[in-house]
Amino acid sequence: MSEISERGKIGAPLLQVEDISLAFGGVVALQGVSFDVREHEVRAIIGPNGAGKSSMLNVINGVYHPQRGTVAFKGRRRRRVDPHEAARQGIARTFQNIALFRGMSVLDNLMTGRNLKMRCNVLQQALYLGPARREELEHREKVEAVIDFLEIQHIRKTPVGRLPYGLQKRVELGRALAAEPELLLLDEPMAGMNLEEKQDMSRFILDVNDQMGTTIVLIEHDMSVVMDLSDRVVVLDYGRKIADGTPDEVRGNKAVIDAYLGVAH
Amino acid sequence: MQFFFEVLIGGLLAGVMYSLVALGFVLIYKASGVFNFAQGAMVFFAALTTVGFMSMGAPFWLAVGLALAAMAALAVFTERVVLRPLVNQPQITLFMATIGLTYFIEGIAQLAWGAQVHALDLGVADEPIGWLMDHTGMNISKFDLVASGIAATLVAVLALFFNKTRTGRALRAVADDHQAALAVGISLQRIWVIVWMTAGFVALVTGLLWGARNGVQFALTFLALKALPVLVLGGFDSIAGAIVGGLIIGASEKLAEVYIGPLVGGGIESWFPYVLALGFLLVRPEGLFGERRIDRV
Amino acid sequence: MPQALQDTFPRLLLNQAKVRPDRPAIREKDLGIWQTWTWAQALEEVRSLACGLAAQGFKRGDRLAVVGDNRPRLYWAMMAAQSLGGVPVPLYQDAVAAEMAFVLQDADIGFAVAEDQEQVDKLLENLTQCPKLGRIYFDDPRGLRHYAQGELMSLDALQALGRDFAGRNPEFFAAEVEKGRAADVAVILYTSGTTGNPKGVAQTHAALIETARVLVAFDGFTEKDEVLCYLPMAWVGDFLYSYAQSLVAGFRLNCPESPETVMTDLREIGPTYYFGPPRVYENILTQVMIRIEDASWPKRWMFRYFMALAKRVGMSIMEGKPGVSLKDRLLYALGGLLVYGPLKNVLGLSRIRVAYTGGEAIGPDLFDFYRSIGVNLKQLYGMTETCVTVSMHASGEVKLETVGRPMPGVEVRIADSGEVLVRSPGVMREYHKRPDATREAIDAEGFFHTGDAGFFDAEGHLKIIDRAKDVGRLADGALFAPKYIENKLKFFPYIKEAVCFGDVRDKVCAFVNIDMAAVGNWAERRNIAYSGYADLASQPAVCDLIRECVEKVNRDLAAYSALGESQIRRFLILHKELDADDGELTRTRKVRRGHIADKYVVLVDALYSGKSSCFIETQMRFEDGRIGTVSADLPILEAQRYAAPEARKAA
Repeated sequence: MSEISERGKIGAPLLQVEDISLAFGGVVALQGVSFDVREHEVRAIIGPNGAGKSSMLNVINGVYHPQRGTVAFKGRRRRRVDPHEAARQGIARTFQNIALFRGMSVLDNLMTGRNLKMRCNVLQQALYLGPARREELEHREKVEAVIDFLEIQHIRKTPVGRLPYGLQKRVELGRALAAEPELLLLDEPMAGMNLEEKQDMSRFILDVNDQMGTTIVLIEHDMSVVMDLSDRVVVLDYGRKIADGTPDEVRGNKAVIDAYLGVAH
Repeated sequence: MQFFFEVLIGGLLAGVMYSLVALGFVLIYKASGVFNFAQGAMVFFAALTTVGFMSMGAPFWLAVGLALAAMAALAVFTERVVLRPLVNQPQITLFMATIGLTYFIEGIAQLAWGAQVHALDLGVADEPIGWLMDHTGMNISKFDLVASGIAATLVAVLALFFNKTRTGRALRAVADDHQAALAVGISLQRIWVIVWMTAGFVALVTGLLWGARNGVQFALTFLALKALPVLVLGGFDSIAGAIVGGLIIGASEKLAEVYIGPLVGGGIESWFPYVLALGFLLVRPEGLFGERRIDRV
Repeated sequence: MPQALQDTFPRLLLNQAKVRPDRPAIREKDLGIWQTWTWAQALEEVRSLACGLAAQGFKRGDRLAVVGDNRPRLYWAMMAAQSLGGVPVPLYQDAVAAEMAFVLQDADIGFAVAEDQEQVDKLLENLTQCPKLGRIYFDDPRGLRHYAQGELMSLDALQALGRDFAGRNPEFFAAEVEKGRAADVAVILYTSGTTGNPKGVAQTHAALIETARVLVAFDGFTEKDEVLCYLPMAWVGDFLYSYAQSLVAGFRLNCPESPETVMTDLREIGPTYYFGPPRVYENILTQVMIRIEDASWPKRWMFRYFMALAKRVGMSIMEGKPGVSLKDRLLYALGGLLVYGPLKNVLGLSRIRVAYTGGEAIGPDLFDFYRSIGVNLKQLYGMTETCVTVSMHASGEVKLETVGRPMPGVEVRIADSGEVLVRSPGVMREYHKRPDATREAIDAEGFFHTGDAGFFDAEGHLKIIDRAKDVGRLADGALFAPKYIENKLKFFPYIKEAVCFGDVRDKVCAFVNIDMAAVGNWAERRNIAYSGYADLASQPAVCDLIRECVEKVNRDLAAYSALGESQIRRFLILHKELDADDGELTRTRKVRRGHIADKYVVLVDALYSGKSSCFIETQMRFEDGRIGTVSADLPILEAQRYAAPEARKAA
């Protein structure tokens, strides 16, 4: 196993979440949550089921619009942002229940991930002019590098719908990586995997962080996985932040232990 | 036997035209899950606009260009006014909205260009091909052949566009999973506009070909009904299905008319496709090429 | 002196780089694209690796471990070691660290080349046990950025060192190659014995090159041929069929993108020449069958129809035999268009000229499948110690049951014990550091004792029947190969286990276990009622069924004069299933012949005494752990004996 990424290289805050509150009708999902994510760090958000982890990710990536609070990415504060806009700014994500284009091949799925990097207009594409063709090739190279990185060469041409679950998760990570994001949001990347697949995925996440320098926010409810992977951990419970710190600090925190053991509020 | 082939080929050529109409439906259904009732009206609108500009003295290609621009404007309008406000509404709501759109388009078209029948001449005569007539004795219309050629080219270009370009990939992506498409930065609105423009382009080609054959008239809107059995046969979400479905419908209705018609007193051409489609619904509801939905518990 | 006796692999490389500098030597799929190196480029790569190793202190006689999947740079690393007069030792890439320790120590490995992080990790784990291991070079740097161990260096860095070194010593490489002798050890390949530690087989340049020359001539390989390297580099087959042959014939090697993509790569490359153990062919066929089952019914029908046709006439057409009607020939051609062609294309066998299999027996269905669709699949026989290639089918002389005639230059002698002895230029020099084992394996006359028992059939083809230690003799001295007969019996679905007796007796007799599921099914279809195993086994109809099987085996045995005497004369169907819990089978379900003979001595005596039935009572352990007894009066059955085919014709 390679050593976990060097702590020294972690830089200035890349993402700052301030005082976020989100409610659906009368149901409060998040309440006054603040934390930051630093450049090149692996930041985990953990918490029991229903703690608001996925909602938090959806706020960062613009799927939900919080009633209160702001999200600042690369120093730019914003209240409302669309997923499409978030992607443009350099945020890529995966989903808890895999959202891949099932009818398309692995290669096409990854090429879609580069959608935003492509510049040729519809007319050039429609006529398949030289620039459009060159652009395809150039992006194909980038995508091939991701395929090599994730060791999925053998399924390059396979329709995603035919792949087993573990591989689909890997392809989804690949599609996010193809966008060369600055911030990568992973929603339970290891849910439903067997031990070997989990180990593979952990290795890929660390390698992404280490070799590409990508900042990663990941949600997990499997505590052991998170503790090995992340530099810092935010703990949510019933929509509130109850702890924030290094894995060791969080592990010893009484509120966290109570939340995980289910002490009555 | 020679007569059989003559009927078969005539039917297949007519079928290509049905395919074209069905293609417009499939494009929109694939990308947005909307059954666009207005496709027939769009065909009518496109053809009428072209003829209208020509009657104002515009040369043919300019008129086509202007009609194309009108279809693009219509696409943008539809996305803004109809689709965007109805995001995340049930399919039936969207379907009803397209019915409304149908009346709107028909109204606009007749308001702008009047309701009389216009002739359209594409410069290809609807007459038998002499060489074939001489050598095989078969009566195959030159116009049908050219029209089929145009339609086939259009289909091939669309297929390439879908499979080889970024926008094509994005279109397929949106058809596959909206949420995922959003996450990779595909703008749904943009894609919808492109899809409706493409459907408009297809409608224009369809309108010109049918219009040249039967005159540009209100009856073109009923083409939508003709596409229905094609879609049932081929599946609502398959381009290949639209093509094969169209060919089957075209060939079988002509053959049925000639060979079964006399037994029941004729005139079955107009309803035979629907019977065929109905039978098909019982056996394979997702269509020949449609995606089989497997509901997992 | 003949050329072969002077050649070394590095000299062959220099020669190829001179004769065909611009022809592709090796290709590898990387980032989705096939990258190509010409012979001239390959030589440059080898030169920089060799010079780099020399700069790092690699000396004549040193050994270089090479571990990883088939990669161009790993092949070049082997060549670099040979250029310096060193010996490459390829290791199995799937071995765990502990398994590697023995070889690393035994071969005194000081330098190692590893493909990637996984292999590096395993080598690093062995650093403490193998103090000599001082240098580890890696091909793929992924994941290794933060490794701080001083032993590590990338191959890129090594090659940079080498280029620098070569710049200062331009004559060095050529001079080192010049020092090499054909009698030097070219490679040490470790074979996993069934017991004890693996043994390192030391093969010389001369032995390997001579064997490769014979093979190249045998099937006429040229520079236009093409092969996919997908079998482990540590296996003699890859060393000989890929490395050695390409250097002799000048053909192109292709390295797959990853072990998982082999099927796709195979399709893209379309090799002209292919080698695989039977299980590889079986896997490919299984994939085909699964796809066919999923296909639509017209396709399934077409497949079945044309496969049946191919089975009937395909092999005759390929071998150019007469007696195939014009109609069948036309249909076969149509089948080629519709089925065989597309099928071969999917399997990556469209351009195949010859395909080899060996290592173990291949099933008749499998063998016929490939041959019937026009793949020239042939069997060969050999082992690491003989550079494989003891015998091989010649095109047009392929017989499923044999492994062909001895290759040119190979002497095969059958010892009195039935053991196959081999003397050829390809026989190893020695087992590394094991003079005892070497003396045991190679006799004074230079014959290598293979440990396999076999004989020559009437046409001079070698037929391997069993391990020599398992083969016995009947009282009259005729060959008796119990496992061979038992396997033939077990080939019938109705027979689950069989035990043959006959060593130093006057005839062969057998115990048979019926297969409860298959025979039960068979009985139900015939409305034969039965209450359990013992009851079913004693049904007269079942006895007849099994007798038919036994007699078919006898007929097969009669076809070979060496085995004709060992036909089964008398047999019985056991009243209980042989079970590992009762000590009758090993845990890997192998028959414990001696134990069974002791336990059922009454039955054995009855078989040989001429009685027509025998009463037996046996203790057995039930599944719930209780111990009970079963008893039965077992009928003893006679089987017909067949004369040899020639004798029958005469009569």
